[in-house]
Amino acid sequence: MLVSWNWLNDYVALDMTPAELSHRLMMAGLNHESTTAVAGDFCVDLEITSNRPDCLGHIGIAREVSVLWKRGLCIPAATPAASAVPVAGLAAVAIEAPTLCPRYVARVIRGCRIGASPEWLASRLRTVGVAVINNVVDITNYVLLECGQPLHAFDLARLRQRRIVVRETRANEPFLAIDHKTYVLPAGMCVIADAERPVAVGGVMGGADTEVTPSTTELLIEAADFLPRSIRATARSLNLHSPSSYRFERGVDPEAIDWASRRCCELILELAGGELAAGSIDVGPAAPGQPTSGSATGGATGGATGGGTGSGTGTATGSGPSTGMATAAGRAPVTLRWSQLARILGIEIPADEAARILTALGNRETARDAHCVTVIPPSWRRDLSREIDLVEEVARIHGYEAIPEDVQVPMAPSHRTDEDRVLRRVRELLAAAGFDEAMTVSVVREELSKAFSPWTLAEPLVSGTPILRGADRLRRSLVPSLLEARRINESLANPIAELFETAAIYLPREGVLPEEKWALGMVSGRDFPAVKGVIEALLHALCPTAAFTVAGTDQPLFHPDRACQLLLNGQTLGYLGELSAPGLRQFELRAATVAAELDLRVIARAAELVRKFTPLSPFPAITRDLNLVVDEAIRWNSLSTAVQAAGGAWLEAVEYRETYRDPAKDGPRKKRLLLSLVLRSPDRTLTSEEADAVRDAVVAACHSQLGATLLA
Amino acid sequence: MSLPAFLAALDELALAASTAFAAADDAASLESARVEFLGAKSGRLKAVQQGMSAVGGADRPAAGKRFNEVKQQIQAAFQEAQDRAGSGRAGVVRDRDFDPTVPGRPFRLGRLHPITQTIEELKDIMGRLGFTVALGPEIEDEWHNFEALNIPADHPARDPLENFYLASALAGSPSASLSASLSASLSASLSASPAASPSASLGSGEPATGSRTGPAPLLLRSQTSTVQVRVMESREPPVRIISLGRVYRPDTADATHYPMFHQMEGLLVDRRVTMADLKSVLRLFAASYLGSDVHIRFRPSFFPFTEPSVEVDMSWKDRWIEFGGAGMVDPNVLRSVGYDPEVYTGFAFGLGVERLCMRRHGITDIRELYKNDVRFLEQF
Repeated sequence: MLVSWNWLNDYVALDMTPAELSHRLMMAGLNHESTTAVAGDFCVDLEITSNRPDCLGHIGIAREVSVLWKRGLCIPAATPAASAVPVAGLAAVAIEAPTLCPRYVARVIRGCRIGASPEWLASRLRTVGVAVINNVVDITNYVLLECGQPLHAFDLARLRQRRIVVRETRANEPFLAIDHKTYVLPAGMCVIADAERPVAVGGVMGGADTEVTPSTTELLIEAADFLPRSIRATARSLNLHSPSSYRFERGVDPEAIDWASRRCCELILELAGGELAAGSIDVGPAAPGQPTSGSATGGATGGATGGGTGSGTGTATGSGPSTGMATAAGRAPVTLRWSQLARILGIEIPADEAARILTALGNRETARDAHCVTVIPPSWRRDLSREIDLVEEVARIHGYEAIPEDVQVPMAPSHRTDEDRVLRRVRELLAAAGFDEAMTVSVVREELSKAFSPWTLAEPLVSGTPILRGADRLRRSLVPSLLEARRINESLANPIAELFETAAIYLPREGVLPEEKWALGMVSGRDFPAVKGVIEALLHALCPTAAFTVAGTDQPLFHPDRACQLLLNGQTLGYLGELSAPGLRQFELRAATVAAELDLRVIARAAELVRKFTPLSPFPAITRDLNLVVDEAIRWNSLSTAVQAAGGAWLEAVEYRETYRDPAKDGPRKKRLLLSLVLRSPDRTLTSEEADAVRDAVVAACHSQLGATLLA
Repeated sequence: MSLPAFLAALDELALAASTAFAAADDAASLESARVEFLGAKSGRLKAVQQGMSAVGGADRPAAGKRFNEVKQQIQAAFQEAQDRAGSGRAGVVRDRDFDPTVPGRPFRLGRLHPITQTIEELKDIMGRLGFTVALGPEIEDEWHNFEALNIPADHPARDPLENFYLASALAGSPSASLSASLSASLSASLSASPAASPSASLGSGEPATGSRTGPAPLLLRSQTSTVQVRVMESREPPVRIISLGRVYRPDTADATHYPMFHQMEGLLVDRRVTMADLKSVLRLFAASYLGSDVHIRFRPSFFPFTEPSVEVDMSWKDRWIEFGGAGMVDPNVLRSVGYDPEVYTGFAFGLGVERLCMRRHGITDIRELYKNDVRFLEQF
């Protein structure tokens, strides 16, 4: 909201500096963006939160100033002199869409002269960046920026049959807007039509055919209310955002509609001349004294409200544009218990001060005693309906500076959850293993989503609108995002891109929220055994006694053989594999890549965060190396199992050394597995003969069970 | 003695000395070789030097120059032999050509993402202030993301275009056409009856999803306050938690906006919690984070789930910097989770992690955080 200093000064005496004004307003809730000097005036830019549409006009800002500085507020009475000719014979208004347009006030002025605005008006509009057009259009803009109620002036002579019909659009109605662009309006929008065609998109934009031109002499002045949601949807759909739509979206003061209409006519009579028809057409379900149906044509039942607005200059402090309105919109009273101020704010505010603030803001006090005050909030503050709303009003005007920042807050225990501890350890261990932590977006493009989904066959959840560059699939795996990150690093010629990420993946479930699996993804330029070694080190550190095994898997992204499913205590822990050649091509990766994904909750369940001490043997270990020739079909895990079983109580560890192939010596389809036995006794140093005996037993078992032969 | 004879004697001496030193394989043999060639009294070098006086005067400089060269040569050979035999320190073989300025063999430590580092710092500080971390889902229903947070059906924050609703979960056709979104928002507005207000579902855990017909709309959470609702629904006060994590809003990515970002929100609900407690906790937080004497300033603001609502500034190096939003938990929110606002009060605050992280590390473009260029990641 751009505010003109000179203009604001019309309603409240500004005897402070612009800096003092903007600071105090900021501390009361109107955030200050900037102040610029403009040709003898200041333009103050204030940010208005969505709950305060009353501050989208100079009078609303002036009211805040008057409350903060305890100054009087002076609001024009808006009492245009009317002729004897009743408005009913000059125009007609029918509302066929009463839900979208609850009220429509029309007044008619005949015989006006369109011309340039006087300098005082033009300069104020220029200060706040509004284009100066002609006196009538400028006045509608001026009153909009004065009280926040949008207005529109139609050239009455161009309204077919001199009729206004407020209705929903039919499908694909063409409309030539005031910007001289033609819009094809979809069905369901609220339009202002004449007897034949749309002449304005209600509350959003006027039409070119009925706009005020230099030859206009007859005016129909519209002051209406429109359903905020309808306005929002229409403005968004047409991408037409105007000061009017902005205000209707946030809600206008229902009791200022007629004031704005009168104020607009008053200024037109003053600056463009002409003759105001008697009374107004005031229709719609929200019009005073109106039956719920708004479809009666030409009902000028609003009657003449042109006179009788009390004092001529309206200087009463705290009164709004609606001073003297015949109707009250039936606001419910709100009670503030004085004790609630201290209970919520933590400071005492004297009852007199609180009551003064509420009254100055326009609340009408209806009862007050030692315990509480009851008020009826003003029509322009629809955000005030509960006790807590009044607490906030008192607090913000009294000033939050009064709240101390050094009270004693009771101590309380807090703890890190086990999952949080596990997550922290996992990150630290992976960093120690040379992996950088990546952060990628939770949503991926369809082809990435399809590339890897080991956890579920269910189709991914889809966002209604893409989140970033066509990415709309909620990812079922972190691996595709990390492979993309690896490709980006490759394209930057970064020699190493070892990346991991811990984040949720989203596995759809029928009828309930999806499972958000807490996953660890890894991509690496190291080979399969190296990445497996990192995973094993991770498990050894966190879940030392859990059984880690692998099983076959068939993931199209991976090489058919150099890939496996990982299991921990028999539960699926994750997947590890080397990317197949087509997999690398799909991600446009040049270098060989290994990827893995682990379910962190499986690790968390098996994690031993507080380890127990195991007594250590004080005697040295003795090792025996074995070089066993076996068939290719024999896997390490079966050999290792056989060795463990035959090793006896002294076998502390079976350590894999390497696999070696020499078909010339060993024959085809044979391999050598080199391993070491680590032997140790808890109560003495083992002799060489004892170690040899264990080795011989192991060799014998491997030979009988797996056909292994010892290479001497 | 003629010059050629002198030079010949020198050459012979040099050859003999280098052979002898090379052959010396222990301290004793090296010592005897040293005495033979370099001995101060009767060493062979000394003997040759004495012969130099017999060289003719004109040839004397040439003889002296050559003598010095040979002397250095013999001394170097002895030094080398001494190094090799370790006679400088018993049992130590020198390696004079070792170059300690050569870089070490690379050992690559990975780095934690700067967002993680910032989050860990925030968790540490809030943990010391008695706040426990709570987690919750990123995909939410409308009850937890909106209704329980006092954001009614016709609130602009619920506009389908202001959120990432899931297409598969939207009732009816998920068409993104303008007219469809227009009619969808209109019908949502027109059907907004008092029954849809949060207070109507007081005390019920999952009223929104349970009472609907058709699939409940789901969306990517737009704030981590959803976690607060879930925690409060599941237990009685006192509640003293922070929730941290990813949130999603349809912003076009630029230097300061990204459609995904991280929030931290704190919540304290108990008897007798006031705005003075809020201000004091935030001051303790700011003092811990910035590590110096700081002050907190409240500016009135508006959030649906708190009232009063404030923007929080903290003083830092003689200026006010924006911290985030805060306020007292709105009574409607307390009621929606079954707490009696006449018994309990609470405060909540929230801040954007990216902004803190960027200020902390001097990062000027938020998109850098999600590019995952290892040269970027290695800086932290």
